This record gives sequence, C-alpha cells and structure tokens, in this order.
Amino acid sequence: MRLFSGAILAAALCGWSFAQPALTPAERQLNVASFEQVWKTVRDKHWDPKLNGVDWQAVHDELRPKIEAAASMQEARDIMSDMLKRLKQTHFGIVPGEAYKELEQKDESGKSNPSDGDPGLDVRLVDGHALVTFVTPDSPAAAKGVKLGWEILRIDGKELAPGLAKVRAALGSPMLAELIETRSVIERMEGPLDKTVEVEFLDGNDRNVTLKLDRTAPRGIETVLGTLPPLHFWVDAHKLQPDIGYIHFNVFFEPEAVESAMKKTMAECRDCKGFIIDLRGNPGGIGGMAMGLAGWFARQSGLVLGTMYLRTASIKFAVFPRPNPFNGPLAILVDGCSASTSEIFAGGMQDLKRARVFGTHTAAAALPSLFAKLPNGDGFQYAIANYISEGGKPLEGIGVTPDREVKLTRHQLLEGQDPVLDAAVSWIHGQ
Amino acid sequence: MSRSYVGRNIAIGAAMVLSLSLARAADDLPKADSILDKYVEVTGGKAAYQKHHNEISKGSLSMAAMGLKGDVTSYRADPDKSLTEVDLAGLGKVREGSDGTIFWSINPMTGPHVKEGPEKAQAQLTSRFNAELNWRDVFKDAKTVGADTVDGKDCYKVQLTPADGSPITQCYDKDSGLMVKMTMTAQSPMGEQTVDSFVGDYRKEGDVLMPHKIKQNAAGQEILITIDSVSFDVDIPADKFAVPDEIKALVTKK
Repeated sequence: MRLFSGAILAAALCGWSFAQPALTPAERQLNVASFEQVWKTVRDKHWDPKLNGVDWQAVHDELRPKIEAAASMQEARDIMSDMLKRLKQTHFGIVPGEAYKELEQKDESGKSNPSDGDPGLDVRLVDGHALVTFVTPDSPAAAKGVKLGWEILRIDGKELAPGLAKVRAALGSPMLAELIETRSVIERMEGPLDKTVEVEFLDGNDRNVTLKLDRTAPRGIETVLGTLPPLHFWVDAHKLQPDIGYIHFNVFFEPEAVESAMKKTMAECRDCKGFIIDLRGNPGGIGGMAMGLAGWFARQSGLVLGTMYLRTASIKFAVFPRPNPFNGPLAILVDGCSASTSEIFAGGMQDLKRARVFGTHTAAAALPSLFAKLPNGDGFQYAIANYISEGGKPLEGIGVTPDREVKLTRHQLLEGQDPVLDAAVSWIHGQ
Repeated sequence: MSRSYVGRNIAIGAAMVLSLSLARAADDLPKADSILDKYVEVTGGKAAYQKHHNEISKGSLSMAAMGLKGDVTSYRADPDKSLTEVDLAGLGKVREGSDGTIFWSINPMTGPHVKEGPEKAQAQLTSRFNAELNWRDVFKDAKTVGADTVDGKDCYKVQLTPADGSPITQCYDKDSGLMVKMTMTAQSPMGEQTVDSFVGDYRKEGDVLMPHKIKQNAAGQEILITIDSVSFDVDIPADKFAVPDEIKALVTKK
C-alpha cells in the first residue's frame, strides 16, 4: 500500500487500455475477492463513515451477482469502477493490473528508467489543441527550432486529436481532464535517450512540420520520496522585473530546495512591488509545503489554509509566519494542471484574501489517496481524507476558480506572450 | 529521547496525547505512585537516573506505508534542554529544540515555529530530563484508571495530568513494571492529534533499562522509531541547545 498525493498518481496512470481475455474460474474468484476488498476498504477507510450518503450495503448487494458473472477482466473492472462511481468522488478508481505492474517495477528499483528522457517541451491543452508552452533552452526541441504556440498534431505517426477526445469523453467531466490529457501528450514524447521521437507540428505559419527529436534528461533533478514514483524537480526563482519577485517550481517536492529558493528571492526582493508564485503545471506533492510557502506571505499567526478530514482525525493546514514575511501584493498563477497541494495553497490564500489568483480553473483533485494491490492483480486507488478550504468549500471536484480567468491562446503564444503572467504583472503594478 | 514521557514526538509534527475515555479505577488497582516508582526501580533505580545529566540517543525513524526512512539524533540535558534532529530522505532535516525557555521547531516543509500555549506546555514535558524520576514535579496528579492488555501483556493504566495541558495515559506491564503504551493528544497549530505510542525492546544502556523501539500511530500513519545507541554524560557543545537565528527573529518579532 502506498500513499500517493493528489493527482500525481492519476497523471501517471493515464492512457492505459488493454485487451479482454476470457477468464478462468480461478480468475473469476479473484475478481470476486477484489470486489469484496474494494467494497470493505471503502466501508472501513473512507473519511466519511456515511459514505457521502450512499447506501453502500445496497450497492454491494446489487453488484455482487454481477461481479460473480463477469466474463472478462474488463467487465469486472467496469463493475468495480461502477461501484466506486456511486461515491461521486475522485481519487477512487481501479487501475488495470498491467499498469500497476509497471508502477511496481519502478517502485522496486526506486528509480525510473535512467534512459528515459524527453525532447524538452512543455505542453498545455487549449480548446482541445496541444500547444507548446515552454521549450527548454539547449534542449533537442530548441535545437530543432520548435517555438511556443506550435501545435502538436502527431507523435510517432499517431494522431493526437482522436485519443484526446476519447480521454475527455471517458472522463465525462472537465475536472482533471486537462491534467490527464496534458500528461498523456507529454508521456508519449518520453522514452529512451538513445531513441528519437517523431513529432508533427503545426507551426506559426500553419504549416505542417515533422521533426525527429532526440531526447535528453528531463529538466531538473530526479527526486524520490518514499514509495512514490521518482519525479524530476526543478525550481526557477528570480526577479521577474526589477520590482517583482517570481518563483515557479514543477512539483511540491524537495522542501529544502524550495525553501532555499524562497530565501534567496526574498532577500533580493524585500522592497519589491509584488510577488508571483507560478503553480501552472504543478500537480501537488507534499501537502505540508503549502503551509510553509504561505508563511512567507503572512504576518499574522493563527491563519489556516483549510482542514483535511480523515476518519479519525482532522489536520489544519496552519500558516506559520516567517520572521520577515513579504507584505506586498501576491499573485498566484494556476491552470488545469495545478492540482492537490497547488490547489490547497492557491485556494487557501484566496480564501484568506492574501492573494489574487490568475489563470484557468484548477484540476479539482486535492485529496490524498492510497494505492493497494487487489487479489486479481489490479490496483485500487482510494482517497483517505476530505479537504475543506478555509472558505468552507471542498476543493475536490470543485477546484480553485481564479479571481481573474486568463486563457492561453495560440496567437499569444506564437507572439511570445504569456497572458497569464502579463495579467498578474499588470495587476501588481496597479496596486 | 527515549527517557522522557513525551519525547518521542519526533517527526513531522507527530506527537501524542490522551483522548481515550478512561475506565474507572477499581478499588483493587495499585496506586499510581507505586506503579510509577516501580518503573524507576525496575529500569535501574533512582541512583542510576540521578547520576546522569545529559544524553545523546541515535537511531532511525521509518514510516513504512509511505516508504520514508531517516536518521534520528536526540540531545537532552538536565533540566530541560533538548534538540531532536530527524533527517528524512526527500523531506530534509526536521529540528525541534529548547533552551529551557524557548521551545521551537524548524521544518523545511512548514518553516520555523515558536511554540506557545498548550503546545509549549507539552514541549516542556517533552524536554524534561529524567521526567520519569521526577514525575511528581512534572505532573500535578497521577491516578490508576484501569487495566488493559497491550500486545498480549496485561497492564495498569495510569493517567498523568500535567499542571498545564491535557492528561497522558500510560500502561505499565503488571509483571515487569515496564511501560508498554502511552496515549496522549499532540498539541500544535495543526490541531489536536491522538497519538498511541507502543513502547518495547527494553535494553540496558549503562545502568538504565531503556526502550529501544517506539511505534507511534497518529492520524492514520504509523511511525517506527528505533534507538541504536545511547550515550550518557557526553561533552555536548554549549551552543548545541542555542536557539537558532530564525527562531530568535520570530521571538523578536513577537
């Protein structure tokens, strides 16, 4: 059993689909045992003993005959997924065993495949189109002249649009969709360092451009936290303009590195007019870091970002003010790939009226979840807590709505603009 | 670390406290003072405790469900100076300490923090050197409130009430007299958390019999602390218990 934070697992597991072999009697029995484990786990571990008002026993009695009769693994998964969907909550799901095995291999080694790399691109889904939003300097993509705003049409000959549409349809809700779709595009470009990936773009002149891109080590340092899959962490902190502090990091890991970056930037920015925390693309990580980050911007003790409710306890996300906090305007940038700890931080600071949030709606995936292996080999993800922001709203399934919604456009990206950042800068200068 | 009543609240804000409803003491239960005094006796006796004025404990901490592991070092000095450092891979170094006046923590996740109110009161208990010997000074009341069975061992439950803060319940093995469990409510700005600590693997360090394994359950997480070595009356540098600059800055701000 492993503890996964926020949307990291969901992001890691996207894009799996498998064939449906016939079942042996033993496999049928394992599916029934898995069904029972899932049902009992929810009954016993869900943070809400009332299970969101669902008559859980009735659900069991309705679906138990169906799982006994399930003729394929996919049918069994569908029945268990159906059971979990009755909760109407995210972070409850069945993961195909093939995907789970993949995760286990990574966990056992403690490291990701060292040969894995990427061409040095970041991507966001804008109205269903995968647009390049960042090109890592000196990366293979930069060397081949890939520019912001280019649209990715195909990866290794496979058209993106139908797959993305399928993912969105399967999710049935825009919540989490941008995160999962974006991850699926990025992951399709990842692979062994000694192999290229062929990417077809629509360039700035609406011409199709196909490039064979080498892969390079992912940006940042590899970081491992417990049994979580290894991730690459990077932090970019500097004075954005002479009078604005800026920090952007890709995941809430490596607390000492984030703290060090904040210390340095704060020391340089004591008299800055404002500060920007860029959480776009940040899927979360260590929840406690939201409290520490908030402390750089809070004078007052006793503030709380929100409260996490477990079945047997509740944990307040208290803000611990730093010795010399920054008191000027604070802007937080978010998008549909900002999840979990990013949402806890942005939503809490918004509720406390300490920050103004810019960008697009967040992923609405804030709950910590555990991951267990089922008797039939599948994985089972289940949330163990609920989170209510200080303003009284659950972030899960709702997310953070920016104070000022600013969407990316292909045109602006092609012009080298970052409209979300520009809006935050403009607001700070207007204070 | 291993010899204080509440000194095992090492990592990540985990701590302890009591919130179980307590059984009524039966007439035939032994008095709390005899149980607590017996503990001192069976773990070495008053003289063995009194001859030490500081200690350094070293060991490890793990949270198996999350795959987290780290090193723990605890410095303690008479009467109430302490410094505990937990270095967890991927999280960094968490420190908690006291110079006897200021009780503080520095956590790379949450930042520096000066303890106040109930949290400070609890930290004062945590930092008390030889608290088990001096329990009459540390707690205003102690009473036997029932019996229990912990890991197959029958034990007496003793409720200890400090002058400030919520009570602690400890269970002492009926046969050996050793403490096998402690339950308390950890106090922090993050709220109150019930912490159950299961204490075992008693081994002698010098003249004192000490627990070397503490399993804590708090907020759905299990933390295992293993003590590898304990050194008494070590030449601890004077500045080891000095309040860090970040904490001084917070105190000045207040």
